[in-house]
Amino acid sequence: MTDDAKALAQRLKRRDPELLDQLIEQYQFRLFRYLLHLTANRERAEDFFQETWLRVLERGHQYDGKWKFEAWLFAIARNLVLDWHRRKKPQSIDSLAGPEEEATFDVKDEHSESPLDQVLHAEQKSSVQQSLERVPAIYREVLVLRFQEEMQLDEIAGVTGAPISTVKSRLYRGLDALKVAMTPS
Amino acid sequence: MNEQTHERAQRLIAQQHLEILPSEDAKWLNAHLAECESCAGEQRQLRESLSALRAMHVVLPLNLASRTQFRVRMRAEELREKEPAKKFVWAIAAVSWALGVSTAPWVWRGIEWLGQETGAPKLLLQAGFVLWWSVPPMIAAWAALSDKRVGQPQRTE
Repeated sequence: MTDDAKALAQRLKRRDPELLDQLIEQYQFRLFRYLLHLTANRERAEDFFQETWLRVLERGHQYDGKWKFEAWLFAIARNLVLDWHRRKKPQSIDSLAGPEEEATFDVKDEHSESPLDQVLHAEQKSSVQQSLERVPAIYREVLVLRFQEEMQLDEIAGVTGAPISTVKSRLYRGLDALKVAMTPS
Repeated sequence: MNEQTHERAQRLIAQQHLEILPSEDAKWLNAHLAECESCAGEQRQLRESLSALRAMHVVLPLNLASRTQFRVRMRAEELREKEPAKKFVWAIAAVSWALGVSTAPWVWRGIEWLGQETGAPKLLLQAGFVLWWSVPPMIAAWAALSDKRVGQPQRTE
């Protein structure tokens, strides 16, 4: 365990309010984006966002610093979503984002330089966003963790609770699915 | 070029986004992509899709962080307030259990005497004795369960 992880674990155990404020600020975008991908619903993602931080407060003593904090955080968020969904109806994560629920991502581009670039980027991203929605949730999740969150395979395995071989296979299938989804019909 | 060649190329195109390709495979893929416009196009398309995926942003709900911070601080306060009460409950449970163990022989004699005096059925007396023993663990379980309260997703607005 690194010194940083050890210090973080100790402060989480103490339920240090300053630390929690700082972590909420730091991870708000990534956690919310992940939850949005998982639930495909902004309100629900927001609920789970808050629940996740409450859980971090209550279970902070369980963080042992073996994983990166974000992997632990995402695992908590994922478990909350799955628990809620299982209580609602025993189904797999695949059903979390049914076609009846529209994922309303508000896409913005931080790097555009001109209005034309903005439009072009927005169109491109909007198309990617729509394509991503066509990818089954089980594959979408690992694609997001790998390519948006830049997580290593073992970290993704930690978050999803799946063996690395399964994560790899889901990623390959996810890339295939993304490719198919991106192909103009 | 046959179908298998393209399949191998496509597999390697995906693989290179997940791990470092062995140098032999990387050389083979580069040579193939230089000759095959279709596979080169697929590689370009996948790269563009993934780069757009990486750059995808979402707009956060208004004041999400500050509202969450407020809720977390409120909960932290609740937990802090509960802390002494919880310790007290545990202390009571421990003392009660210790007393239960140390006084068991006298309690049993007392219950026997009560049975002789009142003529109560033996089963009732045994149930009373079991109850005497089970009260401390029940208190401990109650304290433990109240500690592990699991939050449900709730709307805050």
